[in-house]
Amino acid sequence: MVDQEYWNPILETLPVEKLKALQLKKFKNILNWAYTRSKFHRALYDQAGLKPEDIRTLEDIKKIPKVEKSMMRGIQNKDPFPYGDALCVPLEEVSTFRQTSGTTGQPVYQPDTWQDWEWWSECWSFILWAQGYRPSDRVFLPFGYNIFVAFWAGHYAAEKLGCEVVPGGVLDTQSRILKIQELQATAMMATPTYVLNMADIAKNKMGIDPATLSINKITCAGEPGAGIPSTKKRMEEAWGAKVFDHSGATEIGAWSYECRKQPQGMHVNEAMFLVEIEDLDTGEIIEEPGRKGKMVITALDRIAQPCIRFDSKDIIEWDSESCSCGRTFRLIRGGVIGRADDITKVKGVLLSPAAIEEVVRSISGLSDEFEVIVDKQGDVDRIKLKVELMPNASRTAIEPFLKDQLRLKTNLGYLIEFYDYGTLPRYEAKAKRFKDLRKKPDAKKE
Amino acid sequence: MSPSPDLKQIHDHILKIKDLLITLESMAPDYPALSRNSRRALACIKMMELNFCDPAALEPADTDAA
Repeated sequence: MVDQEYWNPILETLPVEKLKALQLKKFKNILNWAYTRSKFHRALYDQAGLKPEDIRTLEDIKKIPKVEKSMMRGIQNKDPFPYGDALCVPLEEVSTFRQTSGTTGQPVYQPDTWQDWEWWSECWSFILWAQGYRPSDRVFLPFGYNIFVAFWAGHYAAEKLGCEVVPGGVLDTQSRILKIQELQATAMMATPTYVLNMADIAKNKMGIDPATLSINKITCAGEPGAGIPSTKKRMEEAWGAKVFDHSGATEIGAWSYECRKQPQGMHVNEAMFLVEIEDLDTGEIIEEPGRKGKMVITALDRIAQPCIRFDSKDIIEWDSESCSCGRTFRLIRGGVIGRADDITKVKGVLLSPAAIEEVVRSISGLSDEFEVIVDKQGDVDRIKLKVELMPNASRTAIEPFLKDQLRLKTNLGYLIEFYDYGTLPRYEAKAKRFKDLRKKPDAKKE
Repeated sequence: MSPSPDLKQIHDHILKIKDLLITLESMAPDYPALSRNSRRALACIKMMELNFCDPAALEPADTDAA
């Protein structure tokens, strides 16, 4: 069993035409489920003049109205408390509450039934098996076990695989590192920011080289870092471990994963999700590889509060290559490249924070931390980049190279501020490194 | 590598377990230890349905429609 590459060889190597047939069948089922059980969904589709039986082909799916996060916030003021009328099961069947982090506004509540929660861990089982987790692994989870979904389903999936799971919940970072050392944990799950932060603390505060610990694989989520080559390289070198990317969201589920071949992208679990990529300007559905767009996603088997054509705002593109692992699940190139909310025009040029991260993390004389602030000087956009110099690194050697690389990779000029090592903020979960002050008229300039 | 399992047989066994659990769940609603554990087990069985019964139940007509 341990040599088996796939969690489910049938689904993961299903011929494309059968995979599409499965997606269509499941989409019709979940649409019908939502239409017949939720006032919110019925009203949404009635308003568009659509009934579930109008969906006969995959092509028809784009007629179904998208659901925005703001709509989910709106329904929470309705009955039944506290979820509102997108709920498709009796309230007493809800077994688990989670909520979104509220990064982009008021948090959205997410109800799940036992079946949904099994489904969450099933989706994660595809991820962990593909990344080489096996029953012999001792998996350490250094996250706050609370109302946020974070790595909860990763915990249950690791148990399902037969791994031994160590919940590193309320321990502080140093205690977590000592526990990893004491128990000789072999795998870990955390945000890229925290993976780097842990390594920094181990090395510089505790005198422990994390690469000498027993961790041999790390699964990342919550941020795009594990898909950004220079950040991935930093993490892999710091821990002496393979680092794998994964993407999921509270309202969606765990929808994509990098496999052991590390194909510079992630497989979409197309047996459980239907992913569409929408052109940012025209709204046209992009089928061909190499064109970036916004992801619209359907969780095909989630029942308590269905996720049907959810406008995720994640920026992705299909890869033209298939993966040598043999999965027929398509790859998205470079993983989640950014969010439509974050990709912004500066001086008329599209700026992606991920591109800045790739440059900063590729320079060894700079620490892992940085901040990007976009504001206006008079009527002109300005980008300020704050970076930290590593001890003994030379600013005069780094500055011109950093400016050149930024110009080359982003086509923009920056005002660069250098700080001493350890002075920029550190984060334990998702980092907030990008600030666009132009969007807030009352915001003060930095 | 071991030979591929018979998908149809897996499908049939899964549905038999499901039927048994539904029966168990309804046999004694006043015995939470039976009804709730049956209910929870059904959630696990559903994952086997997604993995094996759904692809096994695909008809040629489904492929044509997609």
